[in-house]
Amino acid sequence: MNLVWKLLRQHISIPQFVGFFFANLFGMLIVLLGFQFYKDVLPVFTSEDSFMKADYVIVSKKIGMGSTLSGRSNAFESSEIEDLRNQPFATKVGAFTTTEYKVSGNMGVNGTSVLNSELFFESIPDSFVDVPLSLWKYSEGSKEVPVILPRSYIAMYNFGFAQSHSLPRISDGLVGMIDLKIFVQGNGHKDEYKGKVIGFSSRLNTLLVPQAFMDWSNQYYAPNEHSDPTRLILQIDNPANEKFSQYTEKKGIEIENDKLNSQKTTYFLRMMVSMVMVVGLVISILSFYILMLSIYLLVQKNSSKLENLLLIGYSPNNVARPYQLLTMFLNVGVLLLAWTILYFIRDYYMGFIETLFPDIDKGNVLPAVVLGVALFLLVSICNLLAIRHKITRIWKRKE
Amino acid sequence: MNSIKLNNVLPHVFEQVSDLQSDVWKKDICFEKGHLYLVEAASGKGKSTFCSYVIGYRHDYTGQVVFDQKDVRTFNVNNWVNIRQKHISHLFQELRLFPELTAMENVKIKNDLTGFKTDKQIVQWFDMLGIGDKLDAKIGRMSFGQQQRVAMIRALVQPFDFILVDEPISHLDDHNSQIMGDIMMAEAKAQGAGVIVTSIGKHMKLDYEKTLML
Repeated sequence: MNLVWKLLRQHISIPQFVGFFFANLFGMLIVLLGFQFYKDVLPVFTSEDSFMKADYVIVSKKIGMGSTLSGRSNAFESSEIEDLRNQPFATKVGAFTTTEYKVSGNMGVNGTSVLNSELFFESIPDSFVDVPLSLWKYSEGSKEVPVILPRSYIAMYNFGFAQSHSLPRISDGLVGMIDLKIFVQGNGHKDEYKGKVIGFSSRLNTLLVPQAFMDWSNQYYAPNEHSDPTRLILQIDNPANEKFSQYTEKKGIEIENDKLNSQKTTYFLRMMVSMVMVVGLVISILSFYILMLSIYLLVQKNSSKLENLLLIGYSPNNVARPYQLLTMFLNVGVLLLAWTILYFIRDYYMGFIETLFPDIDKGNVLPAVVLGVALFLLVSICNLLAIRHKITRIWKRKE
Repeated sequence: MNSIKLNNVLPHVFEQVSDLQSDVWKKDICFEKGHLYLVEAASGKGKSTFCSYVIGYRHDYTGQVVFDQKDVRTFNVNNWVNIRQKHISHLFQELRLFPELTAMENVKIKNDLTGFKTDKQIVQWFDMLGIGDKLDAKIGRMSFGQQQRVAMIRALVQPFDFILVDEPISHLDDHNSQIMGDIMMAEAKAQGAGVIVTSIGKHMKLDYEKTLML
């Protein structure tokens, strides 16, 4: 094999192979990076909310010019709730209850005050909240109240506040670091509670407390106030149910379409990544072409040597092997280098993503590994077959 | 492999020739293992063509070339590779050596494939043929006569049932051609092989059992 290689490496053009190497490297890297990035970022948009099941929808009444001018309330009356409850598509209906008294709060992390504000609480029936009941309870007289915060709060804090104040970033595992002091005032009482943050929800844009606390505190701090709920939470047997959309249309009910937004974002993300990957693929295909052209050229320049080798008893496989090994060697080199570069780039962007979304699934490089191996195999098999074909043509004296 | 038969073989290029006088073309002839043949012809009569049909390099003929009972047209690539490695050795008229390699490397590239001879035996042949000092010389820098001797050694480093030598001594003096003939015959005898020599006049002085005029 040594002598055969010594013979067949004649006329190898280093610049051509370097050209192929880098062209293929960039193509491969773009394809792998696009795919890996897509897989890494996708959970940001599709992650399920741990506090609310996917088949729950939140509805409110449409706020239009008419209702604002006429002063008509956008709250649901009990008859309307009853009517909704009787619809076949709604398996469960719950109302949002709001606080009727004044609440203010102070949120701090590690002793540093982060937020001082007037707040309001809302609650929904406990059966809609997907948290172990041992955490999600309030017993009368206790000074500790479980709270679920909107996820946007924490994103705001992590990205805007924590970095500039050198405070630790907060993820779901570290909610205990948040001190939330709640000050309540009404009906001649003035009390301080400690908010115990259970977690964050991206689908509930409100500060959620247990129904038991809400019922008791409304009774205690504002016994004479009552307002109808403005938002309802429903469990729908099938969110795509036509009857449901017809009903909401007729009654002027609006569905909070947070899911729709993430679908749109996912769609655009997918489109963008696809475009990037297509560009990478085109580069890869062109580089494949470069390699094939230079191998063809090499075979052409060495065709008399190849023919002589065949005539003294070497098989087409024997003489094809050095060139096949050469391309395999190049392809493996490209793959390994692409993976290495990808590893560092991913390290870099995952830092950003984790800052923005501390709870995101860290994922792994499996998509890039699998796609890389698949591309490598595809390209290599094509290379091997093309070289074999070329040698066979020499055997048949068609070159 | 015991016999090479040519049944009514005619190269396409001779199809238009009306007054073809030949012991080979359009005849049924048989070369048998263990015998020594001389194929003589003026140039342009198809000596090398004959060799390339036997070695499977060209197939532009009518009629049949038959090895033992098998028509070579039925052979696939592996059959031919096997024939060239183990059954028929060929010394090409145009030698087909590799100018980039040294004389020794040219022989070894074949011996690496067959593993048939030791380096010692090869060097001994080089010495016998008077080119022992050229082992490491590039083929491209050697004279044609010297190259012919290297090509002969390369033809001998494989097992064979037939050896086909195409004008082996065109550029050799009588002394060297005698040595080359002796080495070849000794090797053929050791293997019990048949020998087919072609010539355009000047030929190795051997005891040919049959002479065919192309």
